Amino acid sequence: MNTEIRRGSPAVLMTGGEPRKRKASFRRLFDAATISVVPIYVFTLLFVVGPLVYMVVLSFLKRAETWGVLREFTWANYSNILKPVYLKTFYESLKLASFTTLFVALVGYPFGYFMARLTAVWKRRMMLLLMIPFWTSSLIRLYGWIIIFRANGTLDNILMGIGLTKAPLKLLYTYSAVVVGMIYALVPFMIFAVYSSAEKLDWQLVEAARDLGATPWQAFITVSFRLTLPGLLSGVVLTFIPSMGLFFIADILGGNKVILVGNLIQEQLMKARNWPFAAALSVVLMILTSIMIALYRKVSGVKDLEGLV
Amino acid sequence: MKKLLGLAIVLALFVSLAAGCQKTPEAPPAAGEPQDKELNLFTWEGMFPEEVLARFEEETGIKVNYSNFDYNETMLAKLEASGGGDYDLVIADDYILEAVIAGGLAQKLDLSKIPNIEHVNPIYQGQFYDPNDEYTVPYGAGVQTIVYNPDAVQKDITGYSDLWDPSLKDSVGTIANYRVINGMALKVLGESYNTEDLEVIEAAGQKLLELAPNIRVIKDDNLQDDLLSGEVDVAVMYTSQVTMAKLANPDLKVVFPTEGIGFGIMAKFIPSKAPHPDAAHKFINFILDPEVSAECFEWLGYYCTNKAADELINPEFRDFLTLPEGFNEDMEMIRVVGAEAEEVHTRIWTEFKAACGQS
Repeated sequence: MNTEIRRGSPAVLMTGGEPRKRKASFRRLFDAATISVVPIYVFTLLFVVGPLVYMVVLSFLKRAETWGVLREFTWANYSNILKPVYLKTFYESLKLASFTTLFVALVGYPFGYFMARLTAVWKRRMMLLLMIPFWTSSLIRLYGWIIIFRANGTLDNILMGIGLTKAPLKLLYTYSAVVVGMIYALVPFMIFAVYSSAEKLDWQLVEAARDLGATPWQAFITVSFRLTLPGLLSGVVLTFIPSMGLFFIADILGGNKVILVGNLIQEQLMKARNWPFAAALSVVLMILTSIMIALYRKVSGVKDLEGLV
Repeated sequence: MKKLLGLAIVLALFVSLAAGCQKTPEAPPAAGEPQDKELNLFTWEGMFPEEVLARFEEETGIKVNYSNFDYNETMLAKLEASGGGDYDLVIADDYILEAVIAGGLAQKLDLSKIPNIEHVNPIYQGQFYDPNDEYTVPYGAGVQTIVYNPDAVQKDITGYSDLWDPSLKDSVGTIANYRVINGMALKVLGESYNTEDLEVIEAAGQKLLELAPNIRVIKDDNLQDDLLSGEVDVAVMYTSQVTMAKLANPDLKVVFPTEGIGFGIMAKFIPSKAPHPDAAHKFINFILDPEVSAECFEWLGYYCTNKAADELINPEFRDFLTLPEGFNEDMEMIRVVGAEAEEVHTRIWTEFKAACGQS
């Protein structure tokens, strides 16, 4: 009874427990684990949060007469985006991104799915084959497509050689060329995403479905597809979002005639020197992509992007 | 206590070290120093042939430290950050020079140290950025011209307006400089490149939309390759690209558009607090030597601004590195326009590019 009172009394807490606790947490502030995290925090603050805040602030400033910005608040950069030509850029970007994602899914999903069914040795070989192109800069790989597509290029020579076409097709600098370039650049991400979720798939479940009388197709739809859906969806996110910003593909293979938000930002920043407008465009693009990721989380119920983590 | 003392000593050391670091680079070169042994050259990559730089180093014993920038704006920012110091000689484009001089970041040239200045072609002097030629010496000049393949084009192209001809459907390539291409439409309408009349710029935008079906590609890098491979039959190009195209295919025709041309000049200047101004003057004079100039321009592929060098240039290059006979003053330089005009320019440019993709 007596001890209970003493334990509960504020006097004891003040003199006994609390200070000791405070000392412990003070020491924890300087222990190895905490200190090792500090660089990451500093890095994130300096190179992620800082520039982000800078960009948002910039998007509300006025551009100066020649270069630089004035410290005056304005909404003009955002209302500028509402001009038909710039809205159309967003529409075109979304359209191209959707096209690309659709084709990438059509190619990448079966690829990743069947890759997961290979033997361990072949899995490793396929992985290596998929990784090798990344050893070369993506820009240089795109120039390879120019050689294929250009007038009297590889593709023209093959087609004319087997007598399918008579004159060079004008393939380079077309919308289709851009779509091909986009698919080429992004398909590995879809493959990796689908593969990593198909790898985790318990194939006994498919066997069970088959034993219970499902056709192969039914088994695929009801079991395998459902279970690899998170992979497919993260593949979609990994394809859709970058394809809004891959401005150099539209530049190189589209002859600058397909204007995406990425191209517009790059041009406003580097050529027109209209930093605030470029910042406003980036902020809007970022909001759009955040919505996409939020949708993905909602639909898939997964918090992380499969294939990346 | 001992620990504290140690800490204090370490801290004191650090502070003095930091102070020392701050002082060293700002120390001005000792007055009356007889000879500069270094030259900090700041410009785009590949502006001089290696041999020329090596010969300069050999003749003068001055070591050339070459640093690059990609954009004029980067150069201006660096120069502003160092208050006009760090670099001894900078080569940059005309429009940025106006800002450099206005910002007091360039120093007046001592012409007595540059006797070769007399060789400079007066056409390139007295320009808006330096009306009295006090701060700058022109280096290469660029003239945006039309180049076409006479085998593939039936029409005789003489000016910008010919590019609108329906026979050229899907066969024209242009550089991606919106002031040059918008300016082309302005010229066809008989206006100035640098008009700030928003309605006139809008009208040029409308005019450009009519050009869209003829455009096959818009790009800044290696446009000459598309002309040479037959991807396009006509191209509006930068001078360096014209040079490369002509060298690869001498049959190509170069057109000075009847509407008048725009050109750009890159010029050398010495920053206001250049550490080795003497070496910079020596270098300017060395490059202005007619023979050295001819070598540089052949290598650079830009218009020769050194009149005495014109005749020394290899005949193979001469007709596209020197201005044509009877060249009139029908030229206008593209200058920076106000923010409002600039915004209309970028908008009509985006509309134009989008229209090119639709047709």
